Amino acid sequence: METLKYIIKRILQTIPLLIIVSMISFFIIRLSPVDPLAELKLNPSVSPETVEKERARLGLDKPIIVQYGKWAISFVKGDLGVTSTGEKVSQKLGERIPNTLLLTTIVILLTWLVGVPLGIIAAVRWKTNLDRILTVLTSIGMAIPSFFFAVLLLMFAVKTGWFPVGGLTSPNFADMNFGAKFWDIAHHLILPVIVLFTISLAGLQRQMRANMLDVLDSDYVKFARAKGLSENVVIYKHALRNAVNPMITLLGFEFAGLLSGAALTEYVFQYPGLGRLILEAVLKSDINLVMASLMMGAIMLVAGNLIADILLIITDPRIRSKS
Amino acid sequence: MIGRVFRVLLVLALIALFCKACIVRDVPPKNIQNTVINQTNLSLNYPMPKNVTLDGVDYLQSQAPVGKFGGTLVSSTIGEGPKTFNPFNCKDNTSAILSGVMYDGLFTTNPITGEVAPKLAKGYTISPDGKVYTIYLRHGIKWSDGKPITADDVVFTWQNIIFAGLGDTSTRDSLVINGKLPTVRKYGDDIVVFVTPEPYAPFLRMLSTSIAPKHVFYKVVQKGNAYFDSFLSTNAKPQDFVVSGAFKLKEYVPAQRVVFERNPNYYEINTKNQKLPYLDKLVYLIVGDLNNEVLKFEAKELDVISLQGSKVARYKSLEPHSDFKLYNLGPDTGTMYISMNLNSRKNNKGKYYVEPVKQKWFSDLNFRRAVDYAIDRKNMVLNIANGIGVPLFTPESLNSIYLNKKLKPYDKDINSAKILLKKSGFKTDKKGRLFDKDGHRVEFNLYTNAGNTEREAIGVMVKQDLEDLGMKVNFKPIEFNSLVNRLVSTFDWDMVIMGLTGSPLEPNGGKNVWLSDGRLHMFNMRTPQEGKIGILPWEKELDLMFEKGALATKFEDRKVYYDKYQDIVYTQKPMIYIYSPIRITAIRDKFRNIYPTILGGLTHNIEEIYIGNTKVHN
Repeated sequence: METLKYIIKRILQTIPLLIIVSMISFFIIRLSPVDPLAELKLNPSVSPETVEKERARLGLDKPIIVQYGKWAISFVKGDLGVTSTGEKVSQKLGERIPNTLLLTTIVILLTWLVGVPLGIIAAVRWKTNLDRILTVLTSIGMAIPSFFFAVLLLMFAVKTGWFPVGGLTSPNFADMNFGAKFWDIAHHLILPVIVLFTISLAGLQRQMRANMLDVLDSDYVKFARAKGLSENVVIYKHALRNAVNPMITLLGFEFAGLLSGAALTEYVFQYPGLGRLILEAVLKSDINLVMASLMMGAIMLVAGNLIADILLIITDPRIRSKS
Repeated sequence: MIGRVFRVLLVLALIALFCKACIVRDVPPKNIQNTVINQTNLSLNYPMPKNVTLDGVDYLQSQAPVGKFGGTLVSSTIGEGPKTFNPFNCKDNTSAILSGVMYDGLFTTNPITGEVAPKLAKGYTISPDGKVYTIYLRHGIKWSDGKPITADDVVFTWQNIIFAGLGDTSTRDSLVINGKLPTVRKYGDDIVVFVTPEPYAPFLRMLSTSIAPKHVFYKVVQKGNAYFDSFLSTNAKPQDFVVSGAFKLKEYVPAQRVVFERNPNYYEINTKNQKLPYLDKLVYLIVGDLNNEVLKFEAKELDVISLQGSKVARYKSLEPHSDFKLYNLGPDTGTMYISMNLNSRKNNKGKYYVEPVKQKWFSDLNFRRAVDYAIDRKNMVLNIANGIGVPLFTPESLNSIYLNKKLKPYDKDINSAKILLKKSGFKTDKKGRLFDKDGHRVEFNLYTNAGNTEREAIGVMVKQDLEDLGMKVNFKPIEFNSLVNRLVSTFDWDMVIMGLTGSPLEPNGGKNVWLSDGRLHMFNMRTPQEGKIGILPWEKELDLMFEKGALATKFEDRKVYYDKYQDIVYTQKPMIYIYSPIRITAIRDKFRNIYPTILGGLTHNIEEIYIGNTKVHN
């Protein structure tokens, strides 16, 4: 009951936050000097009447407050509006979200499945050769800018011909059988996954290692060892449970990055995800599309934090008793 | 410790060697002096398809060599892909190209001469007074769903879609003559007659607008404008498309590709009377930017590519031991120019758009000509376009069929420029700084849109060239939108570097730029309220030339007027043209029946292109 109340309170708290986020982003986009009609105005074959019609269609002839109000009302009603070219925003996003989710989920699963164990191992074997090698590798991973790494891998793909140059599927994808389709997508995913995996693995492994080291150094672990418990029980039963708490908060952030975390890499690899769509929308000041994606990011972040907090309540009895 | 470092280095070296071994042989980038690709492989002998009648059906018959059926050609489109496949609602180039693949018009353009060539129609006649266009349609040809293509479809398309103002209205807008639209009616199933209120030469070329299948579009048109706009959008199903073109949509994958398959009912046949096209599939990959396009071509994912100046030298050296062939298609339709603000009026707050001191300079023909002489076009072509361009002196692009060839190019001539300035009373002081006859230092701002590296580079060179004359040029690349705002709304600019894309076939498309009350008459822009206020004598003459040019119907007559207009611009220098880039394209050499032309490009005859089996080197 207490937990439920807490969750409801948290959800209510996010409403003013979302309103403020939406207002700030809306006004910043609208007050920027980007004129969505500039290209139309410079086209010799477009008449002034057409420009005016477009202005009215996009609602640019109204004061900015009215524009915001209109947008907010339809957003609350669940209508994301249309893009500047007249396509449905929800449909545009719907085309891209599965692709981005596919990429980011694979990456997150991989990093957690590999990163957390590696962090534990590095902490347990502190100051051994293995720990040092892992430190060097993760430092490299953290030091390489994802953009640069992605370009390098693309060059590699072009020169060797072992990997497709960007994209998600081959031109003859529609004519393949299931096995070939699966392999085709996997083949296309390898390089972007490598880039994102390398970058986020490094951070996660370092984090896990530091947490684990902290805990291993604490009095109760020393006590457990003194009691004569086996090393496995000490580490996996007593130390790990405590070390994993900060990771849950991190998981909340990972959730927020599900949709927006891979934008740069997506762009370099010409991956048909949200990254390319939103970049183009920002450049063209396509307000409905930009607002939809920004709000999506904000909601994902809030939701991620909420999930992390709830998970913490479940895993950590101390927090439960406090709330 | 040292031992470990050594081990690590050894492993790294092995990995590096391993990677090197895998790399495909490449040519080192070196400075190649001769990057000229001659235009001799341009095809002047393209055999135009002919009209033939077989079993009562009027086919178009390809005269090119007979090829093999099957295969795929992969091309590309830059950006985020099409916004719609509705040929009547395309507001962007990509959508227009992709829907143009599926929907043929009555006519097309002869890729060599630029004349009107038959497509869905087999011919036309124009009445002596230039107002009545009689179009003869092909008898017995079919839509992709097997229904016949008849005069009903043509009348419906023009009457109920274009003249009714559905979708993109630019065709309709440009056809309103004195507030009236042409009329269209059919005589039988195979003859359609258009009547324009006045003789209007550009009309014939507009008949290459796509024709819609009435039996599909009829219901759509009834549901009104909003529904029409969303019809055949990017999420339409492939089976919704009933097309007349050589290819039909098979699959659209957002942000990845558009796949077309052959239309089995296409009305063009080869000399063995087999139905074209040869290719099974035509694929357009949607690539985000130019760099990615190049990577995809090098990885052999693309078959055709259009090359930027800086890439040409490298591809030229790759060509001899590769599987592609380069074609020089000649100067592009793009024109780059410098313009000075000739506006001498005040805004509604009573303030001059251009400072009166600067007005005097810019309105002085000697000043404009001096600027023109000072600019080193050849140097710009060499350094900015990597030699892949041609100096330009006329408002019509060099591939235009209306180009006035009497207007001769000239080189930079700093002495003539100085003499012209002296004539108008400009003086230089000991430090070489230029002053006008009232003692004002000649200093002005030069704008262009930031982010366009080509224009920025031109700006730097123009600044240097004009400093040779003692002018002080403040070069300010600004954001594209605010530049457009200055040019068409607030008029507060001195000099600008811009580019426009014209049509090599129809100068009338530039009337918005040249008419004194045109919406893009940037060099002396008037607000709609001002009308034709303060018109200069040569502006008046330009107005007249464009008016006459549109009304005359014979090419020879029109050529006279458009020659004169180019001559006026050439002498009065409201816009100083710089250069046109040259189009270089590459295509895999397995493709046959490639007849590249300046006007048509590389794949204008896509239905005749086929894949040969052996590699031929010439």
